[in-house]
Amino acid sequence: MNIVVCCKQVPDPEAPPASFKIDAAANKVAPAPGVNQVISPFDEQAIEAALRIKDGQESTVRVISMGTDLVSDVVKKPLAMGADELYLIQDEALNDGDGISTAYALATAIKKIGEYDLIICGRQAADWDVGQTGVGIAEELGIACVTVAKKVEVVDGKVRVERVVADGYEVVEVPLPAVVTVSNELGEPRYATLKGIMGAAKKQATVMSAADIGADTAKTGKAGAKSKLLKLYIPVREGKCEMIEAEDPAEAGALLAQKLREAKVL
Amino acid sequence: MDFELNETQLMVRTMVKDFAEKEVAPTAREDDINETFPTEILKKMAALGLMGAPIPEEYGGMGLDWLSYGIMIEELGYQSQAVCSTVRAHISLGAQSILQWGSDEQKKKYLPDMAAGKILSGFVTTEPNVGSDIAGIECMAVDDGDSWILNGTKTWCTNGSNADIVIVIAQTDKSLKGRGLGAFIIPTDSKGYSAHAMHGKMGLRSSDSSEIALEDCRIPKENLIGKIGEGFKVAMSAFDRTRYCVAAGAVGALQQCVDASAKYVADRVQFGKQLGQFQLVQEMISEMRVECEAARLLVYRAGCLKEAGKPNTIETSMAKWYSTEAAFRGANNAIQVHGSYGYTNEYPLERILRDVKACTILEGTSQMHKLIIGRDTTGIAAF
Repeated sequence: MNIVVCCKQVPDPEAPPASFKIDAAANKVAPAPGVNQVISPFDEQAIEAALRIKDGQESTVRVISMGTDLVSDVVKKPLAMGADELYLIQDEALNDGDGISTAYALATAIKKIGEYDLIICGRQAADWDVGQTGVGIAEELGIACVTVAKKVEVVDGKVRVERVVADGYEVVEVPLPAVVTVSNELGEPRYATLKGIMGAAKKQATVMSAADIGADTAKTGKAGAKSKLLKLYIPVREGKCEMIEAEDPAEAGALLAQKLREAKVL
Repeated sequence: MDFELNETQLMVRTMVKDFAEKEVAPTAREDDINETFPTEILKKMAALGLMGAPIPEEYGGMGLDWLSYGIMIEELGYQSQAVCSTVRAHISLGAQSILQWGSDEQKKKYLPDMAAGKILSGFVTTEPNVGSDIAGIECMAVDDGDSWILNGTKTWCTNGSNADIVIVIAQTDKSLKGRGLGAFIIPTDSKGYSAHAMHGKMGLRSSDSSEIALEDCRIPKENLIGKIGEGFKVAMSAFDRTRYCVAAGAVGALQQCVDASAKYVADRVQFGKQLGQFQLVQEMISEMRVECEAARLLVYRAGCLKEAGKPNTIETSMAKWYSTEAAFRGANNAIQVHGSYGYTNEYPLERILRDVKACTILEGTSQMHKLIIGRDTTGIAAF
């Protein structure tokens, strides 16, 4: 089983919002000093999904990360968790893309690095939260895609996915090769181990440019983007506090539930 | 001079930090209150290779370098000094003593299971009448043909009630003082070995500190580590290692104080402004941070010297004395910054204060380290 996992390096989403600044002139998020770079959490769960399959059957897990500012101890984490190979696609021509141009670049890279049976991505990246890349890769490769998975199994040459829906989950089975995007309901990703870290330190990532993967740079990065960012801003948050008055806790609870339903929180 | 950590060291920091946040921090408060030994945490650490981190791969360890090992202890110490204490006793007093001084047979017999966390170890020099002056050890080991028979009382043995083996420093000939000492591996299921957990400690409450009674405790002859007369060296080298770990753990505790204080003064508003806008509050946090950075650099230098195989006793003493005292000052200031909230166990600061107080005493008091540093500086022994 050849599994490819796409992992994106992002600024730590747990960092306080005040750490992030907007460069209004460039319409970009200004680099936030002191904010660590991490693997996007949904992508870590994608690694976990791949490793669970590998735990049960012989598999090779290849990881692809894309970007020009990649931090080696961050992007090597999947290797320390148990992945086999790491490919870094680094080229200025791939920067500032959207979900479509990123999906094109990743799909091109996936075709280049070898055989693939299953491609696993996080449901969305923790920086832009767009959630188009996984389905975009499937479109580029002309294969099936199942999104928002909570469980991924490979059975009899097919991938069987439990995918999250509003009131539970549904089971979907598609033939391989396929793309699956993974949600947090999959569960906690495993820790890197010391053995994994020592092994990762000895492994060299394969670094590839746009030319190396055979990408048409008219379709990558900003040049290939199909969407246009009009304005980037931090929304102003206003807190409102409403006291619920009731005769007893049970009534207060019921009234609170009613309010939350009205606000469409529940 | 290069102040950058390498890729492995950074990955170790990230991994242990993540582990400690998720597995150690959630129960640290309750474990302290209930004096609960962290058995489950140790099992999880073993699964990640942490219980044998600096033990060479040929003996089932991970072969971690000294600086990475210090960083691992620092990140554990950020969340719990008690877990730190347990781990450093097992690795740096127990396993690394066998690694440095043990025979090939002893290394093969014990180290793989110690690295895997299947054998937990302790180590003890201290006795009711013997603290820093270990040449005065009274516990006796008598040669009895194919066995050693040990009699005496030991105290403050970390892991003593939970360990599978304890390395005991004992006297074989009182007239020889330090030159008569030996280091003996005592399986804790040996007849004549009994351990009693000590209660009522101010800090490190979920770390096991035990009194050990040895009553005609017979062990095989091959359980002597090294030779008779090397017990003093075994103990001193163990102290060099564990003092490094105590220092590293204290840096972690101090960093927790800095981070908690910085967060609190940003959130807390008094007199219509953030606490951080009061200059005297900022002063306390600045002092804390600088002391933390200074302590960390002392620890990392000691670690680099150990890795290079260079003498490091004085540098380790400096790191241990400074880091633990700085952590105590930092915890005191962090409580002050938090006001009455810091005085409760709703926040971890009062626990840190109690825990790091122990760190200024164990493995050589601050005063002993000043004397060691003073003797090296002046060439005059003052003790």
